[in-house]
Amino acid sequence: MFNSSAIQKLSVMAAKPQRFRHLAETTPLGAAAKKHRSLTTSAADSDPNPMKHAFSKYATYLNDLNDKRERVVKASRDITMNSKKVIFQVHRISKHNKDEVLEKAEKDLAAVMDQYISRLVKELQGTDFWKLRRAYSPGVQEYVEAATLCNFCKTGALLNLDEINASLQTLSDPSVEPLQINVLDYLLGLADLTGELMRLAIGRISDGELEYAQKICTFVREIYRELLLIAPKMEDSSDMKSKMDTMLQSVMKIENACFSVRVRGSEYIPFLGSEDTSFSWLGASNAE
Amino acid sequence: MKSAFRSAICTKLTFSFRSLNPTPHRSSLVLPPYYAAVYPGRPSTLTSMAGGESGSNTPPSPTVHTLEKQFEVFQHKLSDSGTLRERIRGVALEIESATRLMQSSLLLIHQSRPIPEVLEKANGQIVVLRELFAKLAEIISESPGQYYRYHGDWRSETQSVVSLLAFMHWLETESLLLHAEAEEKLGLKSSEFGLDIEDYLTGICFMSNDLPRYVVNQVTAGDYDCPRKVLKFLTDLHAAFRMLNLRNDFLRKKFDGMKYDLRRVEEVHYDVKIRGLATSGNSTAEQVDGETS
Repeated sequence: MFNSSAIQKLSVMAAKPQRFRHLAETTPLGAAAKKHRSLTTSAADSDPNPMKHAFSKYATYLNDLNDKRERVVKASRDITMNSKKVIFQVHRISKHNKDEVLEKAEKDLAAVMDQYISRLVKELQGTDFWKLRRAYSPGVQEYVEAATLCNFCKTGALLNLDEINASLQTLSDPSVEPLQINVLDYLLGLADLTGELMRLAIGRISDGELEYAQKICTFVREIYRELLLIAPKMEDSSDMKSKMDTMLQSVMKIENACFSVRVRGSEYIPFLGSEDTSFSWLGASNAE
Repeated sequence: MKSAFRSAICTKLTFSFRSLNPTPHRSSLVLPPYYAAVYPGRPSTLTSMAGGESGSNTPPSPTVHTLEKQFEVFQHKLSDSGTLRERIRGVALEIESATRLMQSSLLLIHQSRPIPEVLEKANGQIVVLRELFAKLAEIISESPGQYYRYHGDWRSETQSVVSLLAFMHWLETESLLLHAEAEEKLGLKSSEFGLDIEDYLTGICFMSNDLPRYVVNQVTAGDYDCPRKVLKFLTDLHAAFRMLNLRNDFLRKKFDGMKYDLRRVEEVHYDVKIRGLATSGNSTAEQVDGETS
């Protein structure tokens, strides 16, 4: 007896999903829901049901927000791509073409600002800077990386956040809030900068420019020391933590490269030019 | 031991030295730092690698100075925002405990206590919540425009609050608590410190999770009309939610869960109906629409 009622129940329950679908399709609300799947129409507003009316407003809100977010993400991607191009350009630096390479890099950087960042500013329309931060943060970080790299190659100094933000203020309409890079994105971009500086230093060393590399080494050490104190205070600091580890690796790579040059100094004589010829190497005579 | 060390290095260096440089005695070689440390008398063009600057002992350059200044400013800013965040978390925890009190009063509804009695106790917490949200609004007003910077710190608490408020509203009125009504109940204003719409919607989804359990217990206690009412409500709600274009985030997941709640309530309703237990005669499963009361 128990079995048959259980089987009955099971067969009844098996039929239920169809009934549910039927329900959704035949009720006026179900039909209305299907019709109003995307944007609302005036038909929804005339529906006396307040729930539907309210939800059509929520739908509009969410659609607008998501569309805006999409456009911001696209703008951010463009910024990322073109900032990376600037960075590659800077890496083309060699002993003899410094000025031309930097000049082109600066021009490209200005183009990123005029074309791509301005588009981001336009899409944000002066609002939701924090709400949509995740959408545009990668682009901004990459831009900070490119701008600080160019600035270092030109002046040997760190481009300040205030300076970057001053240049951004001109981009927006005076009636809306300008985009200002916040401290967190700036610091994250700075962390990435050290990686690029490491590449630059290694490149300069193989070109024989030991002094340039050591300037980079000093600079990167300074940044690491400062960031060490700041990193734990940054919100969602897990990002920064892994960047700090990478940064230390970069610093050590530069230091090891400089060390190798010193130790194997003789290998580089033709490039560096001889300096201290009076120094007689202790070991050589003994070993012989 | 020293000499063994020395000759080991010398051999190594000699080897590289010899193999590459044809004029061993005329070149300048720079000693590695440890070597210079062991034999301090050695003249060397070596600059201290372990130290900071390369070359002379000049004072830190002006560029380093501005660098330090900038980071000092950052430190202050981040310390301030860190403190702000701690204060926010403090209030958020208080909101959470007020919510728990509200929830524990509300749970009596599953034990068939009369609705007005349960609601009275729970409503008492709303005043507390209003105060707490006002406190939050005050803290945030210290950094204008940064609502969404710290939003994550009160997001889940807010969602729980909305779900309880919506459940209470339904018990009272059998209708949905709308976003504007929820905002007003908590004393929030969208122009200043508002109720985020996605938080509201997520809270509503959480409320729907509680409905099947309520229906089951009501039927057990003898209220056979409850399933019909809840089914109608939940069907309307689900249909309204389907008007939204949700992307693949947390809200979407919660909404996907709603159909299981709806199915469960429908099963209960069916069980009651098919045994002729439902008291209100003309409501069949096919007639669940806005017209029947």
